[in-house]
Amino acid sequence: MNNVIEISDLLFEWKNKKQFSLKIKELKIQNKKKIIIFGRSGSGKSTLLNLISGILSPTSGILSVKNIEINQLSQKKKDQFRANNIGVIFQQFNILDYLSPLQNILLPCFFTQFKKHDKEYFYNRTFDLAEKLNIKKNILYQNNSKNLSVGQKQRIAILRAIINKPYLILADEATSALDENNKNDFINLLMNLCNEEKVTLLMASHDTSLKKNFDMSINLEKILL
Amino acid sequence: MKILINIALQSLLSRKITVSLTIISLTISIVLFLSIDTLRLGAKKSFFGNVKSGDLILGARSGEIQLLLYSLFQIGSPTNNISWESYQQISKMPEIDWIIPISLGDSHKQFRVMGTTQNYFERFSYRKDQKLQFKSGTYFKNTFDVVIGSDVAKILNYKLEDNIIIAHGIASQSLHDEFPFKIKGILKKTGTSTDKLVLVSLEALEAIHKDWKTGSKLPSKIKSKKKEIEDLDLTPKELTAAVIKLKSPITIFKIQREINDYQEESLQAIIPGIVLTKLWQIVSITENIMLSISSMVIVSSIIGMIAILYSNLNIRRKEMALLRIVGASPKNIFTLIMFEAFLISFFSIIFAIVLVQIASFIFFPILDRQFGIFLEQKLWNARNLYFLNLVLISSLLVSIFPSIQAFRKSINDGI
Repeated sequence: MNNVIEISDLLFEWKNKKQFSLKIKELKIQNKKKIIIFGRSGSGKSTLLNLISGILSPTSGILSVKNIEINQLSQKKKDQFRANNIGVIFQQFNILDYLSPLQNILLPCFFTQFKKHDKEYFYNRTFDLAEKLNIKKNILYQNNSKNLSVGQKQRIAILRAIINKPYLILADEATSALDENNKNDFINLLMNLCNEEKVTLLMASHDTSLKKNFDMSINLEKILL
Repeated sequence: MKILINIALQSLLSRKITVSLTIISLTISIVLFLSIDTLRLGAKKSFFGNVKSGDLILGARSGEIQLLLYSLFQIGSPTNNISWESYQQISKMPEIDWIIPISLGDSHKQFRVMGTTQNYFERFSYRKDQKLQFKSGTYFKNTFDVVIGSDVAKILNYKLEDNIIIAHGIASQSLHDEFPFKIKGILKKTGTSTDKLVLVSLEALEAIHKDWKTGSKLPSKIKSKKKEIEDLDLTPKELTAAVIKLKSPITIFKIQREINDYQEESLQAIIPGIVLTKLWQIVSITENIMLSISSMVIVSSIIGMIAILYSNLNIRRKEMALLRIVGASPKNIFTLIMFEAFLISFFSIIFAIVLVQIASFIFFPILDRQFGIFLEQKLWNARNLYFLNLVLISSLLVSIFPSIQAFRKSINDGI
């Protein structure tokens, strides 16, 4: 399977906001590639990511991930598919302060994978990956995540996105809130981990300087109809 | 499910201040309701506890509530007495199992003196057929022996063999000081009006009133000596009332009618349970108002809880979006909000139970001492459990609305 994502004749319109629509004739994202999508604010980057993740359903057209048209799946199967195959990194990292860093990382497993696999496997995987990202065990076991530094939050967010061994990681403006140093650290960590885990990365950003770190860049405004 | 409980708990803990205020508000309203209800039922129980003994109360014709009040609660004064002859005749009716004569009129300090017979101690029962029991001593054997209720002993600090003087009438300065009584028995606490009684024999009341006529001591007479009096015929001439127990409750209306139609004297018989219910209906307006107010307080607290859940939904939008992305279904989000509402209500109920229990240990003895409202420490009856379940269920029912809102939003909220 060469393409993780295949889009053709995609149309998405909000029910209440007719002035916005997302129309894409064709888009194919190859497996294990790292792609960055550029576009102005409001151009539809986040909407596209939401469509790919199955949170939103296209009005018409075909959108398949791993050869599966996720909008054809039931709500339950869609949620399971997303949890098992897609990892997401948010703009503000969305770390739940009241959970420990370990619980934050394992959150996707709680909803799906623990049912199928040995819990110990995921705990060990977390510790191994955390070690690679230089997060000490005592940090993982903190009561809550309130006092994590920005750098620690970035790494926890990356680990959470990758813990379920997804095929695809979606990152939405993940560097927009970071300073230059943190941004570079974050991108390096993400790239290394995606290479090691052989994961496809699709990142939405308005920062064109990130282009050099990716295999391919797409200007969303150019592919929109 | 386990993860949802864990997330709900930790999420609530992370919003300590708002959640605590919600729990406090709901707890206070539950405590308020339970307290009012406990007080109401306790007062009712105390009140009705006095009427367990008899099927009928015999008295001179007057108002039925008045007869009930002075015969069973020793509240107010009788307008007329019944003659000893009529009493004797009625007591011989074959349908009557036993009869307790009551004679009122005198007092000791702030407590009423009641003349009666040994039957009172053997037959009088209260609440769940509990019999009078002696804390110490026994009932009167001699004419000038006296038995006192537990409150009398406690408040006046009396013990066995203490001498007491009875005053003529209520709040009178005229004392029967020539006839001191000796305390021979102290009753155990009953939570009824008996606790505030000074009980003497009918003969003793007759004896101390030998030198009295129409409420005054006869000045011309030389004071009778205690010993001399005891040798006289002390059969009472009049009684205030009598409590009648019938062999079969079927005959209750027949005997009542016979007494009401009694030709020799103007008498009446009342069924205490019925009269007390009538009396309680008058009093119950206040309790219903209080219950309604406390119910409204609970409703407003539940609405407050829902308002907080609603307002938090917007603040927690990112949290919900994250949960959706990592695999939580909209159903999970719905369940999460419901769990939170359940936990808030559950903890409010637990805290309310603890608070009411503590309050009962502190305030029940005070209520008993100050107002004569005897409340049992056993608060957790089926009625209260039903009420607490109702609070839990209603808070869950109204939480469905913010949960649906969260469910709907979570379908569209994403990255």
